Amino acid sequence: MSAVLVVHGGAWSIPDEMAPASVSGVKAAARHGSSVLKSGGSALDAVEAAVRALEDNPTFNAGYGATLNIDGEVELDAIIMDGRTLASGAVSCVKNIANPVSLARAVMEKTSHIMLTGKGANQFAESIGINAIPTDKLVTEYEKKEWEKAHDTVGAVAVDCAGNVACATSTGGIRNKMVGRVGDSPVIGRAIKISYFCFGAVSCTGHGESILKVTLARLILSHVEQGKSVADASRLSLQYMGDRVQGAGGTIVVSPSGQWAATFTTERMAWAAAADGVLWFGINPEERLNEKLSQ
Amino acid sequence: MLPVVVVHGGAGHIPKERSDLSTSGVCSAVRSAYAVLQGGGSSMDAVVEAAMLLENNPSFNAGCGSVLNLKGEVEMDALVMDGKTLSSGAVSAIRNIANPVQLARLVMDKTSHACLTAEGASQFARSMGVPEVPQESLITEYSRMRWKKNLAPDANPVECQMGKMGTVGAVAVDTDGNVACATSTGGMLNKMEGRVGDTPCIGSGGYADNMSGAVSTTGHGEAIMKVTLARHILFHMEQGQSAEAASDLGLAHMKSRVGGLGGVVTVDPQGNWAARFSSRQMAWAAAQKGTLHYGLYTGEHFTKIIEDAH
Repeated sequence: MSAVLVVHGGAWSIPDEMAPASVSGVKAAARHGSSVLKSGGSALDAVEAAVRALEDNPTFNAGYGATLNIDGEVELDAIIMDGRTLASGAVSCVKNIANPVSLARAVMEKTSHIMLTGKGANQFAESIGINAIPTDKLVTEYEKKEWEKAHDTVGAVAVDCAGNVACATSTGGIRNKMVGRVGDSPVIGRAIKISYFCFGAVSCTGHGESILKVTLARLILSHVEQGKSVADASRLSLQYMGDRVQGAGGTIVVSPSGQWAATFTTERMAWAAAADGVLWFGINPEERLNEKLSQ
Repeated sequence: MLPVVVVHGGAGHIPKERSDLSTSGVCSAVRSAYAVLQGGGSSMDAVVEAAMLLENNPSFNAGCGSVLNLKGEVEMDALVMDGKTLSSGAVSAIRNIANPVQLARLVMDKTSHACLTAEGASQFARSMGVPEVPQESLITEYSRMRWKKNLAPDANPVECQMGKMGTVGAVAVDTDGNVACATSTGGMLNKMEGRVGDTPCIGSGGYADNMSGAVSTTGHGEAIMKVTLARHILFHMEQGQSAEAASDLGLAHMKSRVGGLGGVVTVDPQGNWAARFSSRQMAWAAAQKGTLHYGLYTGEHFTKIIEDAH
């Protein structure tokens, strides 16, 4: 069966002047992740590679380009999950690390824990040779300007040729958040989830507190477990989140059989999917553009 | 059938000499929580009351009596969730306060966020006038002894984990039919600094929804997180399973899929409740219709009339 990778660069009212950069950013990350799959890499390797590419891109609110908290510092959250074993790694409120998704993977692979926070997470990073970066290297000019509230986060889901799924999400969180605020991203079941019978993998973005309240990722997968398509499951769950807690967001989902969906109830969501040699992408509602993957 | 409150004091392998302390601790907490409900208090007031009493009781792994991390320090996690609005509040890796569950409730009530961690959580506590307490006041002889024992290179923290008092928690339904849950813990014995387990993670340490019920969990944190145990149990209830059957299904799944053991207290909005566990013991107690229910070992279910109940 063929491998599929889907990425998102955040669901929010992306301003027109940022739209082209967001779209090209997700396309580039999707190409990068999909080349990992093509050369036989695992879903886990592919989602990590895709999210790293997004973290390194200052257009997105993760790693470089992340939002500042109320103290003017960069605090990052990230999670990665392996559908084969349900192993997971997460970091919350880690400071000044360029690639939190890789640190999350290290928590998963090098400790017996799932999540590390704050100072402990930074100490762990140092212990494995991942050094902190000065705040001014991570904070962009854009961030220093006054801007309306943004809710973006980046994420990726993938299924590899062996039928294993994986997902990863990374964020700098919401603008002007309180120091120490942990959103949905590093929490299993909220921002990402892989179901036990491997019904799929999900990565979410949008208003963190709403996503937490409805355990969005887990909700989507419970619909899939009951036979809904990934597209219907996503729509129903986002609808529920809107009705029940007045929250908007976006999700990307992939199933072990290669079904995928990118759905959002916010104004825009930059997303891209690589499947069967085609690169699909969009940013506006109902948009579904495509081009050949190998260029 | 309403109101009802169920509390737990941890699932594990409680040594015999400590089992009386667990049983009396959960019974006393449930009595107080029940009195809150009978006096017209909300399910949130009741679960927070129960969890605070258990945090103050040095026999449990929450607040005073918390297990120590690798460095011999106390870092605590807590969660509360309101079934009516799905609002929640949580703190993770918080230090130097006596009642993390109270701070979790403040996060829910006084901020627009759902979870605060570490230093940020401490800053918030200060801004709320929550007193800072010396770490020593949270450490007991017993927790220090277990920490030292676990420093040995061949020690197995997960194994040893099960031999201590566990995480505490409660679920309740009040006379208005609103459900709530609360969970609080010192976490895992000799954990890495900054380790966050299931307790403050909504869906794992607990979940509450007026449409289906409330759950508070205890046991091996990482396993609970992998299967988002609380939410998993409520999905079964949404599909028609009883509180007891759904709890057993969730625990069985956690055991078979990821090899983890634990326990839960579960309640539905009609007042049906369950206290179930896959570990050897779980100290639990429930109060409903003027009757106190409690147990420790599998199959145990004792009852007593609550004297001054109307």
